[in-house]
Amino acid sequence: MTEDQHAIAPNPPRKALLLHRQLDRVWSDLPGWRGTVCSVNHGTIGLRFMATSFAFFAIGGVLAMLIRAQLATRDGAFLDTQLYNQIFTMHGSIMMFLFAIPMLEGLSMWLLPKILGARDMAFPRLGALGYWCYLFGGIIILSSLLFGVAPDGGWFMYVPLSGKTYSPGINADVWLLGVTFVEISAVAAAVEIIVTILRLRAAGMALTRMPLMGWYMLGTAAMMLVGFPPLILGSILLELERAFDWPFFEVMRGGSPMLWQHLFWLFGHPEVYIIFLPAAGVLSTIIPVFARVPILGYGAIVAAILGLVFLSFGLWVHHMFTVGIPHMALAFFSAASALVAVPTSVQIFAWIGTMWAGRVELRLPMLHVAGFFLTFVMGGLTGVMLAMVPFNWQAHDTHFVVAHLHYVLVGGFVFPILAGITYWMPMISGRFRVRALGETAFWLILVGFHGTFFLMHLTGLLGMPRRIDRYPDNPEWEWLNLISSIGGMVMAMGFALFVLDIAMQWLFGRRSHRNPWRAPTLDWAMALPAPSYNFASLPGPGRDDAGAILPLARGEGLLPGAPRNRREVLVTDAGTGRPSHVAVMPGNTALPIWTAMVLGSFFLLMLAGLYVVTPLAIAAILWAGWQWGGFMGSRADAPAIQAAPGLSLPEHWQVRQTLAYSGTVTLLVADGTLYASLLFGVGFLTVIAPNWPAPVSGLGLGALLTAGAALSVMTVATLAARLAETRRATPSGAGFALAGVLAAGLALVLLGGLAMLLDDPRRHARDALRAVLLGYSVFHGVVALMLGLRSLCDARQGRTGSQRRGAAPVWQLFQTFWLTTSVLSLGVIAVQEIG
Amino acid sequence: MLIGSGLITVLVLALAGLAVWRGPRPSDERRWTIWWGLGFSMSVLAVLLAFALWAGERMIARDDGALQVQAEAQQWGWRFVQPGPSGPVETEGVLYVPAGQPFDIVLTSRDVIHSFWVPQLGGKMDAIPGHRNVHRLMADAPGTHEGLCAEFCGIGHAAMRFEVVVYDPAAPPPFVSAESLP
Amino acid sequence: MIWVAQMLAGPMLWGGLFSAVYGLHGLGCALDWPDRATPLGPLHPGGMILLWLVGLGLHGLLVALNRAGGSETQRLLVRSGNWVGAVASAVTLLPVIVTSSCG
Ligand code: HEM
Ligand SMILES: [Cu+2]
Ligand SMILES: [Cu+2]
Repeated sequence: MTEDQHAIAPNPPRKALLLHRQLDRVWSDLPGWRGTVCSVNHGTIGLRFMATSFAFFAIGGVLAMLIRAQLATRDGAFLDTQLYNQIFTMHGSIMMFLFAIPMLEGLSMWLLPKILGARDMAFPRLGALGYWCYLFGGIIILSSLLFGVAPDGGWFMYVPLSGKTYSPGINADVWLLGVTFVEISAVAAAVEIIVTILRLRAAGMALTRMPLMGWYMLGTAAMMLVGFPPLILGSILLELERAFDWPFFEVMRGGSPMLWQHLFWLFGHPEVYIIFLPAAGVLSTIIPVFARVPILGYGAIVAAILGLVFLSFGLWVHHMFTVGIPHMALAFFSAASALVAVPTSVQIFAWIGTMWAGRVELRLPMLHVAGFFLTFVMGGLTGVMLAMVPFNWQAHDTHFVVAHLHYVLVGGFVFPILAGITYWMPMISGRFRVRALGETAFWLILVGFHGTFFLMHLTGLLGMPRRIDRYPDNPEWEWLNLISSIGGMVMAMGFALFVLDIAMQWLFGRRSHRNPWRAPTLDWAMALPAPSYNFASLPGPGRDDAGAILPLARGEGLLPGAPRNRREVLVTDAGTGRPSHVAVMPGNTALPIWTAMVLGSFFLLMLAGLYVVTPLAIAAILWAGWQWGGFMGSRADAPAIQAAPGLSLPEHWQVRQTLAYSGTVTLLVADGTLYASLLFGVGFLTVIAPNWPAPVSGLGLGALLTAGAALSVMTVATLAARLAETRRATPSGAGFALAGVLAAGLALVLLGGLAMLLDDPRRHARDALRAVLLGYSVFHGVVALMLGLRSLCDARQGRTGSQRRGAAPVWQLFQTFWLTTSVLSLGVIAVQEIG
Repeated sequence: MLIGSGLITVLVLALAGLAVWRGPRPSDERRWTIWWGLGFSMSVLAVLLAFALWAGERMIARDDGALQVQAEAQQWGWRFVQPGPSGPVETEGVLYVPAGQPFDIVLTSRDVIHSFWVPQLGGKMDAIPGHRNVHRLMADAPGTHEGLCAEFCGIGHAAMRFEVVVYDPAAPPPFVSAESLP
Repeated sequence: MIWVAQMLAGPMLWGGLFSAVYGLHGLGCALDWPDRATPLGPLHPGGMILLWLVGLGLHGLLVALNRAGGSETQRLLVRSGNWVGAVASAVTLLPVIVTSSCG
């Protein structure tokens, strides 16, 4: 693209130290405990995510050691079965939800702005909110273990075992509510990552030239956006079934346990690639650095990412090969599972080719990369084997699968992450590491890992199923298990040493000079440890690699310093990276932690079964949500900001395509996926579940009229929202906003009336699904109403003008989404009534 | 398949090892991404997939009048029904099947999901409440095999075992009549 | 950004086709379509094969009509996207002509 070459003139150089002082005052966290509570800086939040997830990794690891101790001998006399079930369930759930996902979120939050040339993530407060949700949710889940009521149905929580009848305790609720609470942070992170990559890249950095890490994280975040909603929906449905007896999975009343499996694995398989892609991004970043050549096959790798992102959504049934699905359907998924190995293989050979071209330096990060190769290749191949139906029927649910999944997860995630930590550690701590400790840790982990899991393949082929706590009648499995257990202890020692190495580096390492690995990417174009604002002036064309460190520090790049005493970032066009406007970011605030607390109170009340009190929590959530809008909008038009000589840019209040707008569109993609999963559930139960058709419904003309009226008023509200924006500069703008708000409120009342007419949701799955469809509509109505009120306030308080639009564009988006999904939902109910 | 995987692992690791130990040398993008990345992996996978589809097609149960036995799972045990001289015979924890002929197991569950697996006879199949799955197996020679529940089903999962007694069709156990065999 | 849409078109088409054929398969098995015959052969596999072939035709069009401009990387990515989708549709739905439908 020719746009890439559009040069941007440099700003006059200034004293780096002065710029640093000015910026650091604006961007750094508050001192003391207020810093802990109020920070929204991506560097702080990213590191917190990583440190917390590593702590959960340690806890998950301790649980793994308990498992291995129990299985070392066949009578395993030290844990009772009930506790063992809790322990392996918690091990799996902690490793997946509280270690792997948060770790990658933290890595991307910490790294992306640095490697793309920005000062922060797109939504700093959202990042902080995500962190608090993760921390509180994690604590809730973990404390259940202390009280002896931890989830015990396995990490995929199959129904009916995890339904109320067979798990009457609170255990399953902890999983459903806790994990959903934590998933708020995953969806928030996905939105943030996508908008950051698309809109906050350095000026002139076209998509086709962005570092591969950007592509990998873009793919990951897109998958999270589409992959998590099915799980969230499944968890909501199951919790509704458990709490209020609405049948979705219960066969007698028109549900099906297969629906849970589909929803879970629709998330669960992509999850594996969500975990793998960022790790592969780390590899693609590190390997060229230590081979001292550019990466080979940039285009091929991006194409491979594209293939993985899509194909991994066509594999989920391979976890369900033994549930009695016809062979043709199995064959679709078997073929897709084989095909997905192709993009993976393209990447592996591109990495080998890169190393082939260069002279590889086996520094510590590169050792962990070698650990990746030595482990992941085999895990991938056993995965292909498991994708073949006949073999799967033999190996499914045995220790062969346990071995496979650890080869993939440890090879494809843990080793690359260890490589990444050792690689970026100088930037985090500003220090070199202490000699030899890291290497010893690596060898212990590698040997311990293969010692634990290599022979476990054989254990599985000999017939040992997973999730058993003892095997008194099978002495032939004992020696294999004993070796695995010893290997596990060796690996644990390795990890302990790794942590020690990091601690030593932090405390006693020599101070590092800048760019110690001589890496080419922008993340190293800053002083060490990385400053709170990353870049004193922002990179642009010709100044977007590690070589630009001095000009950037001297303020020759864009938007130097913080002359207006606020956090400013440069927003660019998604494709070309042309500068678009300057966004002003919120500073330190306690709002995220408050919001997470009120959200947490809702989940805790649900967990305690105090359903009558939950409306209070919901009101508190709405109140907190309202506060978030306060920062947006401005009362006056501001003059354009000169980002560089000859480059004047407006502030974000004066443009329509703001970060918030992009973020809302992104969020609605996730929301739409949730809705699509719900429609899938309706279709699936209608076609597959036994005990359909449902009993005759009590809906009649009254319901039809109410629904029609609700949709009409909703349409009016949508039109009014539109007009409120287009007429914002005239006095009628506020009038339209008021009309829109009133119409939306009336639509909500009508929906409430419709809810009264519905059949008892406890009667049959169809009735329960209708109640959920209606609830979905009401939920979005409330959000749309809030945004309408915000727009009304904007108009009344003079926060709109010929250029300033306030919340109106976002209100319109939600209003349209609400209308569309409601039309579909009520249409589905109408079709059910006719059919 | 195991041997093939082993060979591929060694091959890939050898390439990676060579890339590290030998110094820099010209490295052609097309050769690595197209020939190795696409060509090599796709040919191996095509062969594997063709074989798996063929084998899978042979394994599915068909309506060809094979002997049918019923297995009903519940927390935590198995109840089997097999044809006897005077109507069906019910047994608990032991399944009797003739050697040398394919038979279908009809799987149902009374409570949660279980899975029927006899490692020595072949693949597993789930027993799911509200669903009826049919699974085809065959035992070559008379003998006794151990069976177990492969899907986690609660506290008693590890002990949810059963036995399969394979008998000589010429000398069936007293309560199974030769006439009832197809 | 048009090139991004062009790049995504192939995989998206795969997604649509895969869902459609898989849905048709489930629906057909649930409603006992394999037992129903049409003059052109059994209804169920017939319908799926037809859908598959139409989809492959669309993929062919995408590949053939590809007029992406821009930088070399952009053209490579658009071309790769088209092929990723086409190969995915061809391979993952191949079973419609190979395996028996509801057994
Ligand atoms: C630190 C070394 C580790 C050891 C020794 C270990 C050991 C084990 C063992 C023995 C099981 C089987 C439990 C059973 O079936 O009874 C298991 C299950 C599992 N592990 Fe690990 N593991 C380790 C690390 C990890 C990591 C890093 C992850 C993910 C990132 C992970 C994810 C899982 C999952 C998802 C399960 C399945 C749990 C279930 O069946 O519900 N493990 N682990
Ligand atoms: Cu999978
Ligand atoms: Cu069982």
